[in-house]
Order: sequence, then C-alpha cells, then structure tokens
Amino acid sequence: MILEKRKKYLQIALNSTLKEAENIIKSLPISERIIIEAGTPLIKIYGKEAISKIKRWAPSGTYIVADTKCVDLAFRDVDMAVKAGAKAVTCLGVAPIETIDRFINECQKRKIDSMIDMMNVPDPVSVLKKLKKLPEVVILHRGVDETEYSKEKQLPFYQINQIKDNFDIMVSVAGGDTIDEIQKAIFNGADIVVVWKAFYRSSRQTPQLAEEFLKEIR
Amino acid sequence: MLEKNKKYLQIAFNRSLKEISSMIYSLPPSDRIIIEAGYPLLKTYGIGAIRKIKRWWERKSFRSLSFASYVVADLKCMDRAFTEVEAAAYAGASAATCLGLAPLETIDAFIRRCEELGIDSILDMINVEFPFEILSKLKKQPRVVMLHRGVDEGEENKEKELPLHEIERIKSVYDEVLVAIAGGETIEEVISGVFNDADIVVVWRPFNENPERILYITSEFLKEIK
Repeated sequence: MILEKRKKYLQIALNSTLKEAENIIKSLPISERIIIEAGTPLIKIYGKEAISKIKRWAPSGTYIVADTKCVDLAFRDVDMAVKAGAKAVTCLGVAPIETIDRFINECQKRKIDSMIDMMNVPDPVSVLKKLKKLPEVVILHRGVDETEYSKEKQLPFYQINQIKDNFDIMVSVAGGDTIDEIQKAIFNGADIVVVWKAFYRSSRQTPQLAEEFLKEIR
Repeated sequence: MLEKNKKYLQIAFNRSLKEISSMIYSLPPSDRIIIEAGYPLLKTYGIGAIRKIKRWWERKSFRSLSFASYVVADLKCMDRAFTEVEAAAYAGASAATCLGLAPLETIDAFIRRCEELGIDSILDMINVEFPFEILSKLKKQPRVVMLHRGVDEGEENKEKELPLHEIERIKSVYDEVLVAIAGGETIEEVISGVFNDADIVVVWRPFNENPERILYITSEFLKEIK
C-alpha cells in the first residue's frame, strides 16, 4: 500500500488532451494529497505514452493512477502500467472474477496498488467477498453517461460504510464533481475523491479550484 | 460494411506494431478477413494504432481485390461513449466495441453515435450471464453481438465453455443482428462456432504466437469458415 490510510486524497482525472494535461499538471499546487489520474480516454487515444508523459510533467514522487479499466488479460494491463511508471492501476468490478483475482495478484507482485472500479456493479460487497485477496482501493463510481442521461441517479454514498464495515480497505468516490457531492463523500467516510470536470481544460482558476477542493477533503 | 450471408474471420492483433505490419502484409487477401486492433494494443499505442493498421490492410486489399478493408477498434467502451466512438471513427475504424457490462446509458449512446458516424457497433458480452436480457433493454440493437469467453476466464477455468447455445437464441429474435463468437482458439472451436451459426469468429492466439506461419494458419481457418 503506497497511500496512507489516515489521509484524504484528491484525485484529479485528466481526460481531454495531453496538451491540456500538461498545462493542468503544471498549474496545480504541490501537495502530497493530490493524486493524478491518466484517464481512460487519454490512454485509449495516446496509449501508454499518456501515463509516462504525465509522470514526467508531475512533481517527482506524484502518485499516478493508470485508469486502464481492465476487463481481461490482467497481466498485460498491469505490466503496461508498471512500465509506464504508474503507482496504481484500475480493473473493472464487472470483469470476470478470474480477471480481478489475477489483476490484484499481479499488482501485489509488481508492487503497485490495485483499484477496483465498481461502475455499474449493484452490490460491490458481494464482488469483494468473492475475491481471493482484497484490492487496496475500491472505487464507487457513477459513470459520465449515466450521470448525463439519468439525472436521478445518485452517487451510492451509503456503500462507503457498507464496504468499510466489512473490509479494511480504502474507498474512493468518482462521478461527483460539485463541492456538495465532494463534501458528502468525505462526510460519509471516503478516503479519495475523484474529480475531472473542473480539470478538463486548464484555466486561470485551476490552482484555486484545486486548493478549494483540497480544503474540503480533509 | 458486413454482409449478412457471409462468414468472417476476425483476427485480433496484439503484438508490437512492427510485427503487426509484417503480419498484415503476409495475410492472404480476402474480404472475409476482419482486422482487429486489440484492446491491449490500443492501450499501449493509442488510436494511432488503428490508423496504421488500417493503412497496411488497405494497401494489401487494394493491391489484390480492391475490397473494402474492415478494421475493428476493440475499445471495450465502459463510459464516455461519444468521445470513444468519435476517436475510433476519426482514426478510420469500420467498427468499435462496447462492453455489455457497461451502464445502459453508455450502450445506448454508443450505438447511437456509431450509427451517426456510419460505423458498426459491436456489443461485447464478456462476463454477461444473460446477453438476451441486455439486448431487450436497449433502445436500438447493435450491428453485432459478440459472445465472449475472456482469456483469463478460459485459462483459470478450463471447464468454462463458449456460450455457443446463445447464438441461435439471439438470431431467432433479432434477425438483423450479426453474432460473433470470441474466446475459442482451436480449429475445432472455430468449426463449432460456425456450425452453431456464428457470423464472425474472433481469434488471436495461434496468429499472434506464430507470426511467421500466419499465411498458412489464416488459410486453414478461412477454409473452415464458410
């Protein structure tokens, strides 16, 4: 486990272009509580270069997540993420159990953190119970398309404690981008809050926004 | 685009781009071959891989029969359908894949955007217990439903079988949909896929493990897929 269990983290997902990613990274305040994520679209568009470039631009020692959303061939995804310099990599909770088990095992072997993304999983606890070993982080996640097309869909805040009551594990919440949702996530015990909207394009406000989010996440 | 009464062999490429280039040049020219930019390949090289593969296969197909080269981007989309479909279409893909496990909102947006941009939508049913249930909830059907046993599943659980029985079930209700079967790698599995009326058989292992024999292997497989 590379992250500290008692700290709260702000994970900034970069999903637009590499140029934007570079500008955003360079305007962020320096904080050990900032995690930078190479988002899925960025990886699919630029390949592993997205991860290695983000690593190069970020202050040394920054915790970088490769959001590969593994669903099969776990070994390949973990290997690629490690070689590109990531400290954590993601696997889908809807993936076959064999893939998730292989994924967690491979992450342990290669000494990077495993994150299981529970997007579209109705009962994350039941998935965790089926695993041979637990991941380092569970991500509760409402997708962008879900949020956009089904406005009534809520972030499953109640699941944070459901998971923490059953397992000694860090919980991350993704899919809420407003200050209100971030406060709720933290209030409900989340360890990591993932945001992307405010950091899709860099602007003069980028540093303040990051500061404001960091203030809420404590 | 794909024809309803033809049978196709889809070869997923996952080696280095340099190796893939010579593998594609060694393929026998055939309009029944579909080239797939595999999912690990995309994550390693990005969509630039689609553009390159497309160009290599186009050169090959143009020189011989002038058939339209068909390249699948195996995106395995799970969210942000618009962004992903656009990226694949602009890179020249003829089709792209979305996970059947994705939120319904994503699948619907994916199929719609594929239609708007004139590329085929493929719904990958890896780890979906009842593909039928998902199809019945969609606003529109995808062009292709891919029944899929994952590599990790297949290796860890030797008893897991290819869901061949689903092929007819799907085709009997959704007659416009093509069915692809993925996860079988031997000639026997390919034969039983076609015997069970699959329109597309997806393979990767024998091809990626023996790049120097790709012409022979492809010809053998094509013989069985008719």
